[in-house]
Amino acid sequence: MSNPRVTGAIRYAQDVEFEGMLHASILRSPYPHARILRVDASAVPDSVVVLTPDDIGDFGSYGCQIQDQTVLPRERVRFVGDPVVAVAAPTKREADEALNLIDVEYERLPGVFDAVEAVAEGAPLVHEHHAISENDAAYFGIRPQEGTNICHRFRIRHGDMEEGFKQADVVVEETYRTPGAQHAAMEPHASVARWQDGRLEIWTGTQTLFNLRMDLAGIFNIPESQIRIISPPMGGAFGAKTFVRTEAIAACLAQKAGRPVKVVLSRYEEWLTLNRHPATLQVKLGARADGTLVAKRVVCWVDTGAYADCGPGVAQKMGYAAVGPYRIPQVWVDSLCVYTNLPPNGAFRGYGAMQAVWASERTMDVLAAKLGMDPLELRLKNVLVDGDQFCTGEIMHDVHFIECLHAAAGTIGWADNKQGKGLCVLMKGMQTPSRASIVVEANDDGGYTVHCATAEMGQGAWYSIRLMAAELLGVELEKVHYAEPDTDLAPYDTRTTSSRSTYMMGRALVEAVRDLKRKGELGYGECVNKGGLDPDTGQGIASTHWHQGAAAAEVRVDEETGKFQVLKLYTSIYAGHVVNRPGAELQNEGSMIMGLGTTLFEEIAFEDGQPANANLSDYNLPAAGDLPESFTSDLFEREGAEVHGLGETALPPVPPAIGNALYSLGIHVTDLPLSAEKVLNAIDSRQQAKGGRT
Amino acid sequence: MKIHFKVNGTPTEVEAQADEMLLEVLRRELDLRSVRATCGIGICGACTALVDGEPISTCIFLAPLAEGCEITTVEGLSGDHPVQRAFEEEHAFQCGYCTPGMILTARSFLEENPAPSDEEIKVALGGNLCRCGCYVKIIRAVKKAARG
Repeated sequence: MSNPRVTGAIRYAQDVEFEGMLHASILRSPYPHARILRVDASAVPDSVVVLTPDDIGDFGSYGCQIQDQTVLPRERVRFVGDPVVAVAAPTKREADEALNLIDVEYERLPGVFDAVEAVAEGAPLVHEHHAISENDAAYFGIRPQEGTNICHRFRIRHGDMEEGFKQADVVVEETYRTPGAQHAAMEPHASVARWQDGRLEIWTGTQTLFNLRMDLAGIFNIPESQIRIISPPMGGAFGAKTFVRTEAIAACLAQKAGRPVKVVLSRYEEWLTLNRHPATLQVKLGARADGTLVAKRVVCWVDTGAYADCGPGVAQKMGYAAVGPYRIPQVWVDSLCVYTNLPPNGAFRGYGAMQAVWASERTMDVLAAKLGMDPLELRLKNVLVDGDQFCTGEIMHDVHFIECLHAAAGTIGWADNKQGKGLCVLMKGMQTPSRASIVVEANDDGGYTVHCATAEMGQGAWYSIRLMAAELLGVELEKVHYAEPDTDLAPYDTRTTSSRSTYMMGRALVEAVRDLKRKGELGYGECVNKGGLDPDTGQGIASTHWHQGAAAAEVRVDEETGKFQVLKLYTSIYAGHVVNRPGAELQNEGSMIMGLGTTLFEEIAFEDGQPANANLSDYNLPAAGDLPESFTSDLFEREGAEVHGLGETALPPVPPAIGNALYSLGIHVTDLPLSAEKVLNAIDSRQQAKGGRT
Repeated sequence: MKIHFKVNGTPTEVEAQADEMLLEVLRRELDLRSVRATCGIGICGACTALVDGEPISTCIFLAPLAEGCEITTVEGLSGDHPVQRAFEEEHAFQCGYCTPGMILTARSFLEENPAPSDEEIKVALGGNLCRCGCYVKIIRAVKKAARG
């Protein structure tokens, strides 16, 4: 038996050890918004290295899309958990004890904790200015609105929305809310930094080696070539292990200490490091009496917390995902990425699609009810097919929504009875533009080594790339070795996100193997996908490659208590060509289970900016017992088809499928999660609408 | 203080603080890295070790309480234990972080209940969380291990 995951032999970033290494702890702000008046660390013993805001004067600011962050905040803290002082000591215990000896004096400032309130006139400003980052993660036109909390405004202007609504026989309008959520990867964020002859080396679980290296180069004002990032396998990531997280603090402490420093976050600190964007979406949708969609208007308020991180990108993706995979001639979208005094929000499996699909697909069923139409028929009538134009202007190809929808409907016996049943269709973009490159090296022993920056977080990417390489090279799998991603050895890759790696790196690999066969020793290949959207009109290429699927759910509701059971959950995902069947199933099932948590109970509670359930007792994750009685999925393949990424496709359609199943019983809940309390309130509203409940 | 216990069959003496948890001691003193911190409050099962055969959350188990006990971690299984073999054959993991805890819990459970139903497996694994969401295949692996 050799699999290191089964024998326990696998080593994560938290397991990296060096002689003389120190352990870090971080003193964090107890206030959501405050001025730092004084930091007194004089009582800390000399054996402990202390990093205060005074130490970071020479360091550059950073941020993958907006340059709004410094290693420690210089004057103001902006959320509960903002790091103020970092220490490093020979043991973690000594580091923790040193934190108790540090005195920080604050002057509290008014805060804002809701994105809709944060855009209102007179709201406290979280940042005075919005500087667009030079990191290549700022890959699109970012439109900060100076003097406001809006760090990016993405718009779609397709046709004439006002004119469209005039043609509508039926119009529905609704507002939806989705809360913050925690990625809760089982392995916390961990990194080890050391300086060797002026070069910075960092071992860290990261999905974004090159973006991280760019930001660190800016912070320390050294060339990127002076920084080496190595990413060991991660114990889950789900978007949380992206861009700068613990690495800058580890590197600053290591520089000051002259020794390697390890940072491993506590579980509580995970909630203070990166979460999923809470969002409010207002959707207005119009159709002709026959169900033909004519106009759609969407406003998204996307709460990015105290620092933008990749929030602008999330808001953009949420903006076009909220239109849905439909032919709609007149579309108007404003998606606002908004600062608040909450912990930063960033990439989370689905990247804005979950929030968008919840609002969009719930609205489809509300419209169907008002039209008196079957929700499946309404979707089939309007859903995009090959050759259709999306609201971005791009022409769709390789489109499979109809077969996914039919499979979903068939699984829950939609044709026989629609009570307690719900459907959802989903379209999700892939990172566009982006670039993947890879090197394949022939070894003396007849084997091959693959060098690329695709990170392993449990999705099985290393295995899939090895499988593809072995097939292309015509050798046994055992002959192909995958080198741990290392920026000193691997060529550039945009990042391991958006379900792009098997597709993009797989295509680069084909080129690399072709090159190797020509040259004999070393082969290089790359894959570039071009495109992008105009941020002011939303026109262009949103995605060169679409992730597509559908979901179906069946529920049973206890009308007295509002509790309900998901009896059946199913997703149909278009996979094109599956490289690793068990791995693909695991990704799909894992997405569905995470979607189930989002639907039923996951929600970060804040009280005046203080996280109120930041532990795994008060914040529940799905366990084995939460699996529905019937829990199945299909991955559709086509002869000769391209690989379609599927690392997250099955998450976003789960909440609306279940929400629509409740709606089929007249239970209309607009806000996630679908708690018994909300369901009961919706039952009461239904009774009142029917003429009062006894 | 010194603590004496048997780890994976070997009598061992370790140095620990009186208020330290077993998790820290196993990782630091004995380099047993399959025992992993996640929740810190005994909810998730990633830090599971068998203490006298019982699955225990070592993140909330004071190290001195292990004095004289027999401790088993995944490093102490052969690598070819039927539960390990079943997990590998059924692909019952993704990131692998929770896997050792799952395997130990399943091993202990199968000794009590050698022919469990799906429902019984779900209950038995209730204290072992997998954020990757591999439960379908984990349940299948436990059933396979039960069949031998």
